[in-house]
Amino acid sequence: MQNVKLRDVRIIMMAVNFIAVLFVSVFIAATTDWICYRYEARDFLDTLHALPVQPRMNVVIVLVLYLFLTGVFIAQEKFRENQTGKIYISLVLEFVISTVIVVVINFNYNGLFFLVFTGAIYYAKGDRGKYLVICLALISFLLTDSKLLSINYNLYSINDYFSFYDATIQQYLVGAYNLLISLNIILFIIYCILMIQQQRGTIDEVNMLYEEIRKTNEDLENANSQLKEYAKITERMGETRERNRLAREIHDTLGHTLTGISVGIDACIATVEMAPAETKAHLERISDVARNGLLDIRRSVNELKPDALERLSLESAITKMITDMKSITDMQIFFDCRIRQLKFDEDEESAIYRVIQESLTNAMRHGKASRVRIVMERQEDMVVLTINDNGIGCSEIKKGFGTQHIMERIGMLNGTVEFRSDNGFSVIARIPIRWGEGYD
Amino acid sequence: MSKNRKIAISAALLGLAVMFVAVMIYQSRKVTVLEVGIFAGSNWDVANANSYVIIDKAIEKFEATHENVKVHYYSGIRKESYSEWLSRQVLLGKEPDVFMVLGEDFNQFAEIGIMKDLEQLMENDPDFDQNCYYATTLQAGQYGGRQYALPYETVPILMFVNKSLLNREGIAVPDNDWTWEDLYRISQKVTKDRDGDGLLDQFGTYNYNWMSAVYSNGAKLFDENGTESYFNDERVTEAVRFAKEITELNRTQKVTKDDFDSGNVAFMPLPFTEYRIYKTYPYKIKKYTKFQWDCITLPAGKDGGNTSDINTLLMGISNHTNQEQLAWEFLKLLTYDEEIQMDLFRYSQGVSVLKQVTCSRETEEILQEDMEKNEKFIDNKLVSDVIENGVVTPKFPKYADAVIMADNEINRMIEDDDNIDNSMRILQRQIGKYLRR
Repeated sequence: MQNVKLRDVRIIMMAVNFIAVLFVSVFIAATTDWICYRYEARDFLDTLHALPVQPRMNVVIVLVLYLFLTGVFIAQEKFRENQTGKIYISLVLEFVISTVIVVVINFNYNGLFFLVFTGAIYYAKGDRGKYLVICLALISFLLTDSKLLSINYNLYSINDYFSFYDATIQQYLVGAYNLLISLNIILFIIYCILMIQQQRGTIDEVNMLYEEIRKTNEDLENANSQLKEYAKITERMGETRERNRLAREIHDTLGHTLTGISVGIDACIATVEMAPAETKAHLERISDVARNGLLDIRRSVNELKPDALERLSLESAITKMITDMKSITDMQIFFDCRIRQLKFDEDEESAIYRVIQESLTNAMRHGKASRVRIVMERQEDMVVLTINDNGIGCSEIKKGFGTQHIMERIGMLNGTVEFRSDNGFSVIARIPIRWGEGYD
Repeated sequence: MSKNRKIAISAALLGLAVMFVAVMIYQSRKVTVLEVGIFAGSNWDVANANSYVIIDKAIEKFEATHENVKVHYYSGIRKESYSEWLSRQVLLGKEPDVFMVLGEDFNQFAEIGIMKDLEQLMENDPDFDQNCYYATTLQAGQYGGRQYALPYETVPILMFVNKSLLNREGIAVPDNDWTWEDLYRISQKVTKDRDGDGLLDQFGTYNYNWMSAVYSNGAKLFDENGTESYFNDERVTEAVRFAKEITELNRTQKVTKDDFDSGNVAFMPLPFTEYRIYKTYPYKIKKYTKFQWDCITLPAGKDGGNTSDINTLLMGISNHTNQEQLAWEFLKLLTYDEEIQMDLFRYSQGVSVLKQVTCSRETEEILQEDMEKNEKFIDNKLVSDVIENGVVTPKFPKYADAVIMADNEINRMIEDDDNIDNSMRILQRQIGKYLRR
């Protein structure tokens, strides 16, 4: 039993019952001795309806049995809830021992049943079970009432022994006896109340936890829908921003140019008949403006699609990148493209371009290389891209050197990347290419 | 492993067998002690020099036939303190296996379960025939219809007759079938003032009790269970009226024991024991020496016989004895063995409870020994008849108190009440009320 309060009440009940049982047996034995000492045995016998066989022996029997009972109680406390077999045996044992004690003291104290039923109540399943056991306890208590039983059986009564003493002492004795009986009943009631309260408590706790989970769940759902909403808003905001930029760009470049052109053409219309030569020069200027405007628009669009790739084929883009790189460093770069016609999908082109760009940057920045060889070839249905430099390489390929970036890009195309550091630094990427018809 | 186990099991079995045999040997050699509770002296308050003769003889006989059994009793417990002594033993749970129980204790002892119910033992014993006892004595040991004790010795009430007085008055000693009228007639005749001082100095009866009259008129006062009383029964009322008439012969004078001892009273009811004691040497020189006396039955009423109540000493077995069979056998020896019962006539003053013993030739001879040659003796057949027809007082817890109530009230009526019928009806109501309470 885990509940400390319940256990304490039970321990107090054990003590009270011990005192009560001992009180009855010892009192009867002591009074018997006292009566014999006073030579009033014959008169006393006349007041009896029955008498214990051996009053002193009863004390010993009661003591030994109570010791057993206590042992069973202690053992029961140690059992776990799931050892139903043991618990059941211990409950039956308690009931049997208590019954024997109650019979030995001739039902002069039967509150022992309340003590026994505390265990049964504790282990009874559910509200119904507990109420049933409480009813059983009450029934055992009522049916074993000594006055009730003495109608049919010859039982000795402690009251007969009380009445041997004079009135004042009798009052105290009866008082003490009744106090013990009442105390036991009160303890039993307290036990029942605690038990029911504890059960209520458990239900409340479960309800509270359930409520909490429900709330959390609700919150989560709310948050989720909010997030969705937010994502939508963000997306829309992105679109708006892009549209605004486009609008501004168009306004800034196209608007400006077209305004100039339209104004210039208006002037030309006015002057074309009077001064054709001047108009011609003017138109040339307008043509420049228009051309510049076109350039501007190109630039703008370039800003929207910032790579050369958009303008150039993959090979020329790569070549341009190499040329740019050569113009700013003294690194020698050889590009050997063994695939005659390069025609990839946009994402494939982008990946190849980026891998080369990243590798060159690495070779220059980390490898301090002076020479880089780029080979692009076809092996079966793979494009194998090898970028090899003569730099210092690195003993350990660290992430963050752009390698991660490369791996991700190739990974997206279901390709593999290999890094080698034995002779300078090599990046070997194998990309399964979706070769369309008409290639090669 | 299995071999070891076999050895262990065999060893254990052997050990058990040895222990069993040892216990058997111990049991067979162990001396069983049977406790007996008896008191010294007579149950009828007469001197008895031979208190333990019969019990010692019985023990000797019992131990001779029962190996390893010792019978033990505490000697020196007098009758006056026996009841208290036995009660103490009972309270402490140390009562003897077999014990005498006094008449006034029997009801309560049976009621609270101290006495063993003997029905089963009696039934299971093929050598035991309860018809050998006087039914009336057996009845004395019954409570609630069950036999809780067996009779050991019994004593009927007889009428002492002052033969000298009757001779002087020229009256013959009445026969054993005499009646109330005879008693009244003789009493009337002998009641007189002999010295002429104006006071009566010779009386008919002393201590003739209304209850004796009731018993000899075929009436009873209570039913067996103590739920009904019969004080308004015509036979009871008649008996009370007769007792009143007899008493009124003495006018207002109180007759005393001293009057009887001085030889001035013709009749006095006394137990048989008194007769035995004071007819024999050496006691006969101590009492009733101034006159010749004898014993006859009590006079019969209109509706009854020459009967009296009989007083029986009972013996029972403790309800908690561990030696039930031994206790039963010892109880049987004391109450059922003809040799032991015959000794009652030799060493005690009561009468055997066995018909065959009381009616035997031997008993007659023993009784005869006491008599002086020319004296009329009381016949053992007569005693037997009196016992056979004797009245056994009912056994219920309120009996003693109810009788005291009735006795007080009836004695008052006898002294100064002319409307006996009416008073008896009132008494019947009172006693009935008390019994029902």
